Amino acid sequence: MARQIQSERSYDWLQSLRSGEECAFAEFINKYKETVFLCCRGLGLTEVEVEDAASETFIAAYKGLQRYSGKAELSTWLWSIAYRQAINYLRKNRRKWQLWTEPDESAVGGLKAKEPGPVSAAQNSEEAYIIWAAVERLPRPWAMAIILHYREEKCIADIAKIMQARKNTVKTYLFRGRNKLKEMLAASFTEIASVNG
Amino acid sequence: MDKLKDRFYFPPDGLTRALQRHREPVPADFTAKVLRKLRQAQEQKVLARVVLQERLALAGCVIFSCIAILATTVFPEITEVIFQSIAKIVTLQGEALADRIPQTIIAFSADWQTYTILVLALGFAAYNIIGLFRHDNLKTA
Repeated sequence: MARQIQSERSYDWLQSLRSGEECAFAEFINKYKETVFLCCRGLGLTEVEVEDAASETFIAAYKGLQRYSGKAELSTWLWSIAYRQAINYLRKNRRKWQLWTEPDESAVGGLKAKEPGPVSAAQNSEEAYIIWAAVERLPRPWAMAIILHYREEKCIADIAKIMQARKNTVKTYLFRGRNKLKEMLAASFTEIASVNG
Repeated sequence: MDKLKDRFYFPPDGLTRALQRHREPVPADFTAKVLRKLRQAQEQKVLARVVLQERLALAGCVIFSCIAILATTVFPEITEVIFQSIAKIVTLQGEALADRIPQTIIAFSADWQTYTILVLALGFAAYNIIGLFRHDNLKTA
């Protein structure tokens, strides 16, 4: 019963979104803005580009909502728009090659810049922080595949659609990303253990 | 859950939990900014339509005037005939209306070229008048 009510509510919400209601769209932005920012930052856009790409993603979504068939999850559909926008930004600025380089310290330092205030610091355990920092050091496509699979809980087929890649490629990204993560985390935790004595 | 069937899906608890705990910072006024941009885009769209309509109207006026001037200078006889026939047709039209539909059809088929010009000119005028009084255009203006 609760599920039925929820699905009816989400259907109504989708209808309101399609009809262009501003309140519904504001709710949509609030719900997914973090995801879109994550996608843009994850692909290595600069802070200025991130905000522009995120706005453009939502504007494109607003225009495309009429064509959204509902076959894919709304979040998957939005992820693919955000991914395309971010890639377009990289392509426009001739920085697509950057996808395959390991993010440098300044880029990862973005994490330090985003370093939480006391509230979110309390929310994030040290372990979670170390893991996230390691993910941010991975080559972007691997990191993106890991985030989509483990954080967003998307299946391989959806990730392939979002990243416009073949399923096998996504599997390779995940495999290599996980292995690299294991190495990095082992090193980090060993270092911490040795510091703590 | 489909994902569990996936051969490559093995959620190491720590990884999933840690990644889901991460909060991505977003500027506080982001939603308002996007909504503002959207409103601007919609206004620009309406404005672009009005501008296009005005340009069409202007182009129409210029073209019709040029055609009229050209026609009166280059083909004065033909122009005279056309205007005379328009006047005649208007008179005929009245008579035809009185004599009911069959004669109107005959009159129309006899002078369909002139009628076409009339219909085009009237249609164009109607399009512009309707466009000027449409609600959304007035709101933007």
